[in-house]
Amino acid sequence: MSFEDWYRADRLPHIFCAGCGNGTIINCTLAAVEQMNWKREETVFVSGIGCSSRAPGYILTDSLHTTHGRAIAFATGVKMANPDLHVVVFTGDGDLAAIGGNHFIHGCRRNIDLTVVCMNNQIYGMTGGQGSPTTPKGALSTTTPYGCAETPFDLCDLAIAAGANYVSRWTSYHVKELEKAVKVGLETPGFSFIEALVQCPTAFGRRNKFRQVADHIEFLKTHSLLRAKRDRLLEKGEPVPEDMFVVGELMRRNRPAIGVKP
Amino acid sequence: MKLVIDENRCKGCNLCTKVCPYHIFREGKKLNRKGIAVPELDRPERCTNCRLRNLYGRQLCGVCQLTCPDQAIHWIDEEPYEPHKVAIEY
Amino acid sequence: MTRTEFWQGNTACAEGALAAGCNFFGGYPITPSTEVAEHMAAKLPKKGGVFIQMEDEIASMASIIGASWTGARAMTATSGPGFSLMMENIGFAIMTETPCVVVNIQRGGPSTGQPTMSAQGDMMQARFGSHGDIAIIALSPATVQEMYELTAKAFNLADKYRVPVFVMSDETIGHMREKVIIPDKVERVERKPFVAGSPPFRATDPDLIPGFPLFGTGQHVHVTGLTHDERGYPCATNPGLHMALVKRLVDKIENARDEMADYEVINPDAEQVFVAYGAPVRTVLQVMHDRKDPNIGFLRIRTVWPFPEKALAKFKNAKRFLLPEMNLGQIAREIERHTCVPVKCIPKLGGELHTPSELVAALEAQP
Repeated sequence: MSFEDWYRADRLPHIFCAGCGNGTIINCTLAAVEQMNWKREETVFVSGIGCSSRAPGYILTDSLHTTHGRAIAFATGVKMANPDLHVVVFTGDGDLAAIGGNHFIHGCRRNIDLTVVCMNNQIYGMTGGQGSPTTPKGALSTTTPYGCAETPFDLCDLAIAAGANYVSRWTSYHVKELEKAVKVGLETPGFSFIEALVQCPTAFGRRNKFRQVADHIEFLKTHSLLRAKRDRLLEKGEPVPEDMFVVGELMRRNRPAIGVKP
Repeated sequence: MKLVIDENRCKGCNLCTKVCPYHIFREGKKLNRKGIAVPELDRPERCTNCRLRNLYGRQLCGVCQLTCPDQAIHWIDEEPYEPHKVAIEY
Repeated sequence: MTRTEFWQGNTACAEGALAAGCNFFGGYPITPSTEVAEHMAAKLPKKGGVFIQMEDEIASMASIIGASWTGARAMTATSGPGFSLMMENIGFAIMTETPCVVVNIQRGGPSTGQPTMSAQGDMMQARFGSHGDIAIIALSPATVQEMYELTAKAFNLADKYRVPVFVMSDETIGHMREKVIIPDKVERVERKPFVAGSPPFRATDPDLIPGFPLFGTGQHVHVTGLTHDERGYPCATNPGLHMALVKRLVDKIENARDEMADYEVINPDAEQVFVAYGAPVRTVLQVMHDRKDPNIGFLRIRTVWPFPEKALAKFKNAKRFLLPEMNLGQIAREIERHTCVPVKCIPKLGGELHTPSELVAALEAQP
C-alpha cells in the first residue's frame, strides 16, 4: 500500500493552482500516516477555511472541513469525545495565526493529542493574495501594496512558547524531512506542530519575484538554515543571517498531554 | 516498474523536473487537450525506483512522487517485462 | 421511583441534560449561565463524560460539533454575548446537520448590557442569527421543572432532526429555585441509523433527514460547511444543488412543525388571550389565578421555533392577543404574521418580570 491509496481518487485533480505546494504537503503527511499503520476508520482529518483547508476533502477518511480558524477547536471536540481516533489538522497561516490564533495557543497550552500541519504560504491565497500574519516584512500583497510594514509571526516560536510537545519546520522542498517530521509528530503524544513553508505562485510569488515556481523552491532551499547549523553559529557567537529561516526539529519534550489514546 | 504521469492530474508545474536527482523529467512542449504541457520522460530507465523497486521490495527515492503537488506520478508494473538498456553516465 | 429536588434552574438544566445522556460539554463561563457549566464540570467526569472549558464561545460551539460527529450527546450553555459568538458555528451545525444543544440563559442586551438581569432579547437571534436561510428549533422553559424536561427533550429533538436545538431560558428561570420532580427515566430518541455505503447526505425518507454516519465507523464521510452534494463533496457553484440543499435543511424542520409543537391552551373560548413563553408565563398564571375570568385565555408556548401558529386558531373568539415579553416585541411580530386578530405587545425591559398589575392594566386598557 502506498500513501496514494489514502486519496479520494474520485475527487482528484484538486483545486490547487498549478505549482501550489499544498499538494506536496498532503503527500508528505499521508506518507507519514501510511507508515503509522493507522486504520482508515480511526483517522480523522480536520481543517478550517483556506487553500490548505481543502486538503481533508481529498482524503479517504472521515474528514471535517469547518469554519475559518476553528479547526483546532473542532478537533479538540472530536479528540476529547473519542480519544481512540487519530486526529490530524490541516491549516494555513491565515487560518491558524490570524483568526485561529487563540485556538492555536490554547491547543498548545492544553497539549491535546493532535498533529497540526500548517501550510504556510505567507499569504491569503484563496481570497486572492492579501497579507497574512506571516507575510514577511516588505513583501507585496493586495492589502500591503507598498510592502508589508508589520513584523510577521514565527509560528514555531509561538507553539514552543505556548507549550506544544513537538515543533518542527520544513518546506515543500524538503519532502523527505517533512515526511519524517510529520511521522514523529504523529507518534508524539500531545500537541505536535509542523510548519511547512510552501510556495504560492499565484498569490505570493507573482507579486514577490517568484513568478516561476522553481524560483520559489530555490529560495526555500537556499534560505533554509538547519537548526544544528544555527546552533553552531550561535555557539561561535557568529551572526545568524537575517534573511534565513530555521528548519528542523525545534522542540521535542514530554509535557503532560490530554486526549491521549488510553 | 514503470513511471507514469497521469495527464488528467498533471497541471504542468514542472516541479518534477527540478527535484529528480536523475533528471528523468524534461519540460514538455506539446500541449495536451487541457492545454497543459505535461513533462516528458528522458531515459526513465535511470530512475532507481523503476529499476530496483521489485528487487528491493520497497519504495526507493520517490521524491518526485512526494513532491508532485497534483498526485500525478506513480509507478505501474510493466507487463510484459520490457528489457531496458541502462545508460550509465560518468 | 420519582424523587423531588429543590434546584436552581441552571442546575435543573444540567441535570436534565445528564438524564438525557449528555456526555460532552464544551463551555465558557458567562453570567448568568455559568452554573450549568459548573454543575456539568462536577458531574460529567463521574459519569464517564467529558467536560472541557474552551477558550471562548466560538471554540465551545466548535468542540460540541466535533464531539457530536463522534456520537456524543453534546451541549454548551451561554448567554447573549456568547450566543452571538456562536452564530457562525451554529450555521455550520445547520449546514452539516449536526445535532447539538445550546442553552441560552438570556440576559439584558444589547452588548454586555445587564449580565445579572433577565431578558428575552435573543429570540429573533436564535431564529435568524446565523447567516443564510436556516431553520432551527428553540424551546422556552417557564419553570425549573421545564428547565429539566425541555433540556432533556432538546437532545431528542436535536438527534431526531439533526439540527442545533436551543433552550432559550432567561436569568429569572436560570437562577430561580423551585421544586423539581425527577422522573425515573427520561425518554431517549436515537439518531437515525446510517445505511453503510449509501451517500452520507442523501435523504430518501419523507422526513428529509439522512441517517447519521458516525466518525470512526469507517464511512469516510466528508463533512463540510460548503454547499455539498449527497456524497458530502463540496459543490459550491451549482445553483440548483444549493437551492435543493437549503430547501431540504429548512423543510425538514418546517414540515415537522406540528409534530414538535408544544403548547398549552387555557380558556379557548376567551376573547382576551394572553400569549407567553419563558418567565412572563409566571405573571400571566398569577393574573389567571387572581381573576378566574373565563374571558381571559392563555396560550403558553414551549416550542417557540418553529412557531406553533396553529395554536392561535384554537382561540376562535379571540378579539385580542396580549403578549407580555421581556423584549420590545419579537414574538409579537411573529404572531402578527399569522393572525388577523390585533396583537398587543406588553414589552418590558430592564430585567424585572412583569407585575400582575401591569398585565391587568394592559388587559383593561381600551385598544
